[in-house]
Amino acid sequence: MVASPAPSVAPRLAADFTMQRSGFHLHARLELGAEILVLFGPSGSGKTTTLHAIAGLITPERGYILLDGRTLFRRDDASGPIAQRVPARRRNIGYVFQHYALFPHLTALENVAFALRGPTGRATAAAWLERMNLAHLADRYPHELSGGQQQRVAIARALAPAPRVLLLDEPFSALDAAARQRVQCELAALQREMQLVVIYVTHRLEDAFAVGDRLAVMRDGQLEQTGAIEDVFRYPATQQVAEIMGVPNLFRALVTEVGPEGTVLDWHGLRLNAPPHAFEVGRTVTAYIQPEDIKILYPDRPVMDAVQHNVVAGRIVESSLRPGMRQLRVCLTNGHEIEVRYPAYTYRPLNLQVGEEVRLSLRKEALVVISHAHEN
Amino acid sequence: MNGFPLAPFLLSLQVTAVATLLMLVVGLPLALLLARRRFPGAMLVETVVNLPLVLPPTVVGYYLLLLLGRGGPAVEWLGWRLLFTWGAAAIASAVVGLPLLVQSARAAIASVDPALENAARTLGSSEAAVIWRVTLPLARRGILAGGVLAAARALGEFGATLMVAGDIPERTQTLPLAIYDAVQNRQYAQANWMVLVMTVLAFASLWAVRRFEQRGRAAPTAAAAPQG
Repeated sequence: MVASPAPSVAPRLAADFTMQRSGFHLHARLELGAEILVLFGPSGSGKTTTLHAIAGLITPERGYILLDGRTLFRRDDASGPIAQRVPARRRNIGYVFQHYALFPHLTALENVAFALRGPTGRATAAAWLERMNLAHLADRYPHELSGGQQQRVAIARALAPAPRVLLLDEPFSALDAAARQRVQCELAALQREMQLVVIYVTHRLEDAFAVGDRLAVMRDGQLEQTGAIEDVFRYPATQQVAEIMGVPNLFRALVTEVGPEGTVLDWHGLRLNAPPHAFEVGRTVTAYIQPEDIKILYPDRPVMDAVQHNVVAGRIVESSLRPGMRQLRVCLTNGHEIEVRYPAYTYRPLNLQVGEEVRLSLRKEALVVISHAHEN
Repeated sequence: MNGFPLAPFLLSLQVTAVATLLMLVVGLPLALLLARRRFPGAMLVETVVNLPLVLPPTVVGYYLLLLLGRGGPAVEWLGWRLLFTWGAAAIASAVVGLPLLVQSARAAIASVDPALENAARTLGSSEAAVIWRVTLPLARRGILAGGVLAAARALGEFGATLMVAGDIPERTQTLPLAIYDAVQNRQYAQANWMVLVMTVLAFASLWAVRRFEQRGRAAPTAAAAPQG
């Protein structure tokens, strides 16, 4: 499911706070409207801590958290007094915990009704179970439910008190692919319907693409880059972001020529043409090319204009089949390996076996030079 | 059935019931505090609570005499004259049984996943509601087990009780004291009865504790009650 990017929604949740955690200093700065923001990063990068602080389960050192014009937290000086701190129970923020955290001594219905009162509360809870296709499991205890069912109970429980914000911490990590897809669709529909502000923490890129509008990449407690998911993935701002996103074919090269037509890079003896950049000659930069953007050249056909740049030779060292795609690892003449990926039905006439020599075109336009390679 | 000493039996039940209530009232907050909060002096508090496990009962009794006797805080500040009443016996039993309840309850509370308590907080629960609706229900098996064990220990209290409540028939003479008296006076028929009752109750308590520890769900939700 493709979520439409929502870069221009009115901001509703704004947070900018710092705190000292064991091992790193966390600085979270987020601003989002009724959208799904994916907070992405390796485990231990501070994502859960960020959610806890927004939910009011831990207290930041300094900074502010605002929701729909209401100050949930404010402290201007780490050693000074806390100007405002709304307790978690009054924040109106729904939280779906990493391992669901369903109350094991309560049934599914009682779990969903936990925050609600009286018979109307039970009716609301029952309606939520209905909404999540769980009505027939209302009297089951959490340990009698499958992972996907537990997940949906957890979402229903978080949404039953009608929160303005929904925080999800690695919500689908324990689900199989089919269940994950269903709950992801459900979540996106609920977000639109309830105009929720959603922060979705994950370390899986697939999940990010499946649910998110925007992506915020976190590493060692710092937000490295925030933007539309496609943009962040295709144009990572730093080498760290590229590495976290798992961008393949990342390499470091020397700038040898700079001009209006383009930049020339030297990658350990390979001369590569890249789009124009404002770098000075002699600087080391980080660059990458997506495996899908590498073309294999037919030896018996003339090289077309579009692929005339950056023709390199190499030998296939590995070949593997993925769903609908074939992936090669090619060892180039400069000793580095790169990944090449193409639809399994193409290049039939070529004998692309391990050990064969091939010529590749690294399209100039697809060669991305990361602009802030030396900044942090 | 003649010779069954009803008075010490009923008195023991009364003392144990009150002692168990006291232990729950004091022990559960202590267990919560020790399991969930880090505070300076936590080690000290824990050690003091556990002291009766290793101190001779006469030493515990002596401290209680100081606390409850003339010039002690109970008389001077509160005006409670408890020495040589069954109330003193209940307090002595509670002090000796308390570490068993606190240890078991603390372990049970510490094993409750903090994420569940956080979930309750995000669902609008106050700290008191978190304890009442999440922590205690989930720790109930350990609390029950500890409560039964502590109640059984309270029922069998002898030394400290003798020091602070004496051995007054019909007033402070509980089963363990009555057994001692019966043996001293060579009333073996009575002694046999009481020894049998104590053994059955102790056996049933340990059995119950094992059941609480083993059983998964659906443990009774009633608060720990004294055996009887």
